[in-house]
Order: sequence, then C-alpha cells, then structure tokens
Amino acid sequence: MAPAKQSMFRSADMSMVQLYISNEIGRECVNALGELGLVQFRDLNGGVSAFQRTFTQEIRRLDNVERQLRYFHAQMEKANVPLRKLDLDVETLAPPTTTEIDELAERSQSLEQRIFQLNDSYETLKKREVELTEWRWVLREAGGFFDRAHGNVDEIRASTEDDDAPLLQDVEQHHQGAEVERSFSSINIGFVAGVINRDRVAAFERILWRTLRGNLYMNQSEIPEPLIDPSNNEAINKNVFVIFAHGKEILAKIRRISESMGADIYSVDENTDLRRDQMHEVNARLNDVQNVLHNTQQTLTAELTQIGQSLAAWMVLITKEKAAYQTLNLFSFDKQRRTLIAEGWCPTNDLPRIRTTLQDVTNRAGLSVSSIINEIRTNKTPPTYLKTNKFTEAFQTIINAYGTATYQEVNPALPAIVTFPFLFAVMFGDFGHAVIMLSAALAMIYWEKPLKKVTFELFAMIYYGRYIALVMAVFSLFTGLIYNDAFSKSLTLFDSAWEWDVPEGWKQGEPLTAKLKGDGRYPFGLDWMWHGAENDLLFTNSYKMKMSIILGWAHMTYSLCLSYFNARHFKKPIDIWGNFVPGMIFFQAIFGYLVICIVYKWSIDWTTADTQPPGLLNMLIYMFLQPMTLDIPLYRGQKTVQILLLLIAFVQVPILLFLKPFYLRWEHNRARAKGYRGIGERARVSALEDDEDADGHGNGNGNGNGLGRHSIDTDDDGEGVAMLAGHGGADDDDEEHEEFEFSEVMIHQVIHTIEFCLNCVSHTASYLRLWALSLAHQQLSVVLWDMTLGPSLTRPGVVGVIAIVVMFWLWFFLSCAILIAMEGCSAMLHSLRLQWVEAQSKYAEFAGHMFTPFSFVTMLEEDDGLAEFRG
Amino acid sequence: MAQGYSVFVGLVIVAAMCVGAWFLSPKGENQTTWRSSLIIAFISCYLMWFVTFMAQLHPLIEPRRSNVREGFQHE
Repeated sequence: MAPAKQSMFRSADMSMVQLYISNEIGRECVNALGELGLVQFRDLNGGVSAFQRTFTQEIRRLDNVERQLRYFHAQMEKANVPLRKLDLDVETLAPPTTTEIDELAERSQSLEQRIFQLNDSYETLKKREVELTEWRWVLREAGGFFDRAHGNVDEIRASTEDDDAPLLQDVEQHHQGAEVERSFSSINIGFVAGVINRDRVAAFERILWRTLRGNLYMNQSEIPEPLIDPSNNEAINKNVFVIFAHGKEILAKIRRISESMGADIYSVDENTDLRRDQMHEVNARLNDVQNVLHNTQQTLTAELTQIGQSLAAWMVLITKEKAAYQTLNLFSFDKQRRTLIAEGWCPTNDLPRIRTTLQDVTNRAGLSVSSIINEIRTNKTPPTYLKTNKFTEAFQTIINAYGTATYQEVNPALPAIVTFPFLFAVMFGDFGHAVIMLSAALAMIYWEKPLKKVTFELFAMIYYGRYIALVMAVFSLFTGLIYNDAFSKSLTLFDSAWEWDVPEGWKQGEPLTAKLKGDGRYPFGLDWMWHGAENDLLFTNSYKMKMSIILGWAHMTYSLCLSYFNARHFKKPIDIWGNFVPGMIFFQAIFGYLVICIVYKWSIDWTTADTQPPGLLNMLIYMFLQPMTLDIPLYRGQKTVQILLLLIAFVQVPILLFLKPFYLRWEHNRARAKGYRGIGERARVSALEDDEDADGHGNGNGNGNGLGRHSIDTDDDGEGVAMLAGHGGADDDDEEHEEFEFSEVMIHQVIHTIEFCLNCVSHTASYLRLWALSLAHQQLSVVLWDMTLGPSLTRPGVVGVIAIVVMFWLWFFLSCAILIAMEGCSAMLHSLRLQWVEAQSKYAEFAGHMFTPFSFVTMLEEDDGLAEFRG
Repeated sequence: MAQGYSVFVGLVIVAAMCVGAWFLSPKGENQTTWRSSLIIAFISCYLMWFVTFMAQLHPLIEPRRSNVREGFQHE
C-alpha cells in the first residue's frame, strides 16, 4: 500500500490546492481544467450574492445567447426542420477563443432578429390569408343566400316588419311586378355578414334574439373546412352568418354584438355583379398572399436548416463557456495584483498533470508570469474519489447508491465485484438460464458502441449493468452445474454414485430405493440420481440451507476482516481491540462453531457410527437455552466446549461495550492534561488567519479524538495554511473536530454493541434467503416444464408435432420472462440487500462526500437541457 | 469417482490458483481489482463445490422413486 500507488481498494489520495492564475488567462485555464476534469473547486465567495460576483455580466450575456439558441430550436421544431445532433464521443470541439464566442453571440443576435422578422411577417401574412379565406366563404355562402332570398322577399319582410306590415303591404305590392331585381334597401332592410366560431353560434343567436326582441332574420351555414388560427396553429370550425334587420341603429347594435362575440364582419355587396367582382378581387389577393407566404416559409426553413447544421455545436460551446464563467465566479479576484485565486480538491497523483496543463495554457498565451499551483494543508475531510473503468463503473454505482464511502476507507465495491454476482448466482443457479443470460450480456458487450445510443430507459439500465450481468451469468453457469440444473433437467456428466437397489421380482410402478455403489462420490455438483427422486427436496433443502449458512458465515467473516483494515489504515488501534477483536470472537464462538459442526457432521459416516446424528439447529438453540444438558452428542466433550464458547462469547459483550469509550476518555483526559501546558505552542502562524479561525482549531487540537485524522502539525514547512474560504464564511465542509463528550461516545458504543450482537443472529438467518430463492427458482422451472413442454413431448402424431412447436415457444418465452427476467430481478435485489446490509454494515461507515470535479465531459453528459442536442 | 480426500486436492488446486492469480494479475492500476476479484471468485466457487461434495459424502438418506421405468432400473 505505497501511497503513490492508487487502486480500487481505497479512494484516491486527495490534495487541497491553491491556484494563482493571471486574470488574462483565467478563462483559458478554467477551460483547460474543465477538459481535464480533475479539480473540484471550492466556492471562495460564499458571502457574495450571485449578482455581485465578478463574471455575472458574462454569464448574463451567455444566458441570453442560450435563450436565443433555444428559440431557434423551438422554431425548428415548429417548422419540422431536422436538427443535426452532436455525437460527443466522436466529435470534439476545440476550445473557443473569446472572439469566437463574441462572434457567435453577435451572429445569434442577428439571426434571432431575422427569424423574428420572418416569423412576424409570416404570421401577419397568415392572418391576412385566413381573413381572405373567410371573406371568400362569406361571399360564397352569403351570395348563395342572397340568390335564394330574392325569391321570397315577402317572407322576410313579413317576419321583420310584422307590426306595420298590413299598412305597407299594398304599397309594396305595386312595385312587385315592375322590379325584377329588387333591392333589399328598397324595403329598408340592412344586413350584416360575417364569420363566427361554430361553438358560439347558439349563444350569438340567443343574445341577438333577446336584444333585438326578435327583429331580425338570421341565416347561417357551416364552412365545411376548418380554418387555422395563425396565433396558435389550432384548427377552428366556423360558420358564415348573414343577419337581416331593419334600421341603422339595430344594424349598428348587431355589429357591436357580433364584434363582442368574436365574430369577424366582412362587407358583402348585395348586387350580384359587384359581388362577383369582389369575389375575383378576393381570389386574386388570396393568391398573392399565398405566394408571398410560400416564399416566406421557404426562406424561414432555409434559414433554420442552416442553423440546424451547427446549432448543437453552438449549444455545447455556450454551455461550456457558461460553466467556465460560473466556475470563475467561485474564484477570489485580487484586484490589486490582477490575479485570480482558486482553491479546490484534486487527486494527489494527478497534480503533475494539472501543473503541465496550466503551464501549457500560460505558454500558449505567451505570458511571462506562469500560474502557480500550491498544495496546502487543511483539516477538512477530502472528498471520496473512486476512479472507475467501464467494467467497475456499474459495480461502483450500486455501492454509491447506498452511500458514499468515507474518504480512504475500504471501498465496498471491490469485494462486491465478485460477492454480489456470486450470491445472485447461488439463488439463480440454472445452467440453461445462465446460458441465455450470458448470451445477452455478451451481445451487449460485443455491440457496445451502437447500443450506447439507445435511449429507451429500461434497456439503458440493463445496458449500463451489462458487465454485472456478464459476471452474474458466468457464476450462474457454475452454480447451475453445481446444482445440476439446466432448465430444471439434470446433466449426467459423470457416473452417479448411486444405483437402484432392485429387489427380486420388481415390477414397474413399485418404489425403488438407491444404494451407494462404493466409496466414490459424484465429483462435481449434485448427483443426478437425486433429480426426480421423491425425497429430492428433503435432501436439497438440508444441503442448501447449510450452504447458505456457510456462505453467509464466510461473507460476513470476510467483511468483518475489512473493518480491521479500516482501523489499521486510520491508525485507530482502539477500533481493533475494542470492536474488531471482540466482535470477531463473539461471531466465531457462535456461528463459526456452527459451521465447524456442520462440516464435522458431514464428515462422519453415521451408518457405521454408534450414535444417532444430532439435529444441528436444535443443538445451537439448546446451547443457549440449556447449556448444561445435551440430548444427542455430536462428539465427545461437546458440553465443555459449548459452555466454554458461550462464556467466551458473553465475555466479549462488556468488552465491546466499555473498552472503546473508556479508552477514548482516558486518552482525552491525558491529551487535555498535556494540552494545558502546551497551549502557547499550538497557535498556527498564517498571514490570513483571524481569531475565529484560531478558535475553531484550538478546540480541535484540544481533544484527543484527532487520532488518525489529518490534524494539523504545528511545524508546517513553509506552505500556506490559509483557508481563504474561512474568511468568506463559505465553509460548506463540516468542521472536523468536535467537542469530546463521554456520554455521546458511550451511547454510540451501546448502540453499536446491541446492533452488532443482534445482527450476528439476524444476518446469519438472513442468508437463508439464498436457500429460499434458489428453491423457488428451481421449483418454478420444474413447474413450468411440467405445464408446457413436458406433457407435449409424450403426444404422438401430428397433434404431437404441433403441440411441441407451440409449447416450446410458450415454454421458451415464459422461461425468459418469468424465470430469467423476473426471478433474476428478485435474486438481484436479494443479493443487493445481502451486499448492502449484511456485508457492508460490518465495516463501511459511509460518511464521505463524493468528489465532483469540474468536468466538461460529465457536465455535457448529465445536462438535461442538452439531451435533445446530443447524438 | 471422487473419494473423501478430494476436498484437500481441490483445496490445493484452488490455493495454487489463488497464488497464480496474485502473481499473474496484469500490472497497472487495476492489479488490485484483478487480484481481489480472482481470488474471491476462486474461493467462493471452491466453497460451494466443497459444501456440495461434503453434503453427499456420507448421506443420511437415499434417493427413492417409484416411477422408474422397466429397463432403466440398472442405469
């Protein structure tokens, strides 16, 4: 475990660094570091609100550009113009210069105006078009109505001039014969023609009827085609109406009512010739408008298509640029020296890379002053940085889903690479199902690149875990062979150790019992003679139950051992003597003993032994309940051994309870006694330190709890200890040292002890799920076989052939859906629980915070706003 | 056909595989991952085989079935 070598065993060594960057190249430096993705910057301006920061102006400008780009995208979607997506894996964009960004901003500004104008004129034209269309409909419908109406003016007049009709009737009748083409005006009737929304017709009619007390004649007809409202592109059904009424005031009133109801009124001439002219004119204008519209549309589409070619790239550039400025806003800006000061965490091993990156930027910019990068000491907890590759990534993710491991504690993902899939396989053990799963996993790995683009969520999830699936399938092949199960059938790879003990005169249908052939046993896995036997379950249940206990014991012992590595790494010997050792003894005295008994019982040939085989479960229970009596002994001197083990186990409880808290108290008191003498020497020397800060650290050094933690040495070797953030008040990391309080430590330890002792029992029992799930899986596949494919194999003739084909597919799909997908899912969840709870509770603390470096790659991947621009 | 001492033979083989895994793991930053994964995998598999073998070494019950067909009773 040399400090220089990093592995998956622990999270990487982290350093707090301070960067002094010249103001001119601040942006370039941040860009370069963003491409590198290895530094997590701290906010040094916590007290400054977002509006007062140095680069707020730039961010606002970029926000505006981003808004414009999104506007283009919205327009493109509206016009159905395809967007050329950017595949970030293939295309890399060179970091843009400031001028390029400026150009982009200007360009998008002018483009926005242009598109805005085009859109505006398009909408105006569209509106005009709709109006003209409506007018045409009015002309057509109303015209038709006029033509019809001329035949029966009387009727109209009778209805509108009901009260004075008898007086005028004679006068009117004089003209009747003379005028062929009579005008409505001659009978003093005016009319209003227009278009109204079809939904409102009923209300419109009612209102008119009530306000005019029935003094109107209304005619309407539906426009057969829906009209498009240009403001929201919705299709509306409208009606053409013509209202005849008497008198100017009434007509004016009708107009007002129509307008208030949202109707559009169009002028229609009652004269047929004039109307024809009007019709021609409208048609001509409509034609013109449509031509112009078409041209505008084309120009807009052309413009948008051109934008679509590079929109995704622009979007990425702007997002990056904005992120860079947001990061720059975290920096502290020294106005006098024109430098930016940044602080952040980075992996210690990558410091040289960061250094060369910054040097490159300085050289390219041709600056004489190079950037300075300083490693500084701090008492803050570094973030947990767990480097992954594409194989370990998914495993690490399922561990991180539970919590973030404490800085430098044993990474639970390392053993999980094997234990998690292995425990899955113990439950999933079926050779046939494993082969299908393996082919699926291999296919996903072989077509890794093309399948990466699939966005269907469920598949993306399975694809993400393809390497877990691979390891799971490989182990399932193994456990399938061990269980001797392939689609619920057995493989006869070796000769069985059993043969049927056939009595004289045996006839088919009579029960047969097997006997052992000799000393030889089935060399690999379960003897296939058990398969299909009536007492198969009796045997496999006992076997699988015991196996679950043994595997659980091994898993938990291994996990407990990792707590030893943690204690040793953090240099907390008290955790070894106060937690690990008594815990281990307690666990082994009870369950280690049980495992030894299980194996011992297997190794004895009970057919030749003098005694009966004892039940191990009762043995363990009565070891607690009545240690003084023993019903059926397993071996000689068993009583003494068990009493001794019990005593050893129970002695561990007070050790677990009291050793650690009292040791910590003793150590605290001793440190305090020393501390009183050494108080003057403790103060740290730093140019930027203030009283408050010193106070905080005074507390820290005063308590003895700083064991193994990175407490500050008083002899710092010339490196700055200043924490700029301390002044800004932006301390988001929790202070490391807190006051030592005995009662708290004691309570914590009591809880730990109770939890540990009870968990030894409950967690061991919890591993029995391995047996339960594998039993369920095996039985389900037997049932599936018996209900589908099995019976159809015995049918003769054509029916048999058809039945086999149909049943095979039924069996195959149900196997895939239920036994592989569903059962696999449930086995995975159970295995996940065993990993998270049973194993990790033994050693992992999960009190860390994740290292989230400023990285363009992860940022672009995770930005939801960019999702539609990524290829 | 394997005898009772096979578990020790298996143990020696698996121990040898573990030693091999320790020394033959590819160098580099993933060496720890290789070593840990291979060794845990070998031990887990051995454990499972060992348990299965031991459970059948001195069986307390014999397989019994009454649907053995004529002609298959000597298989």
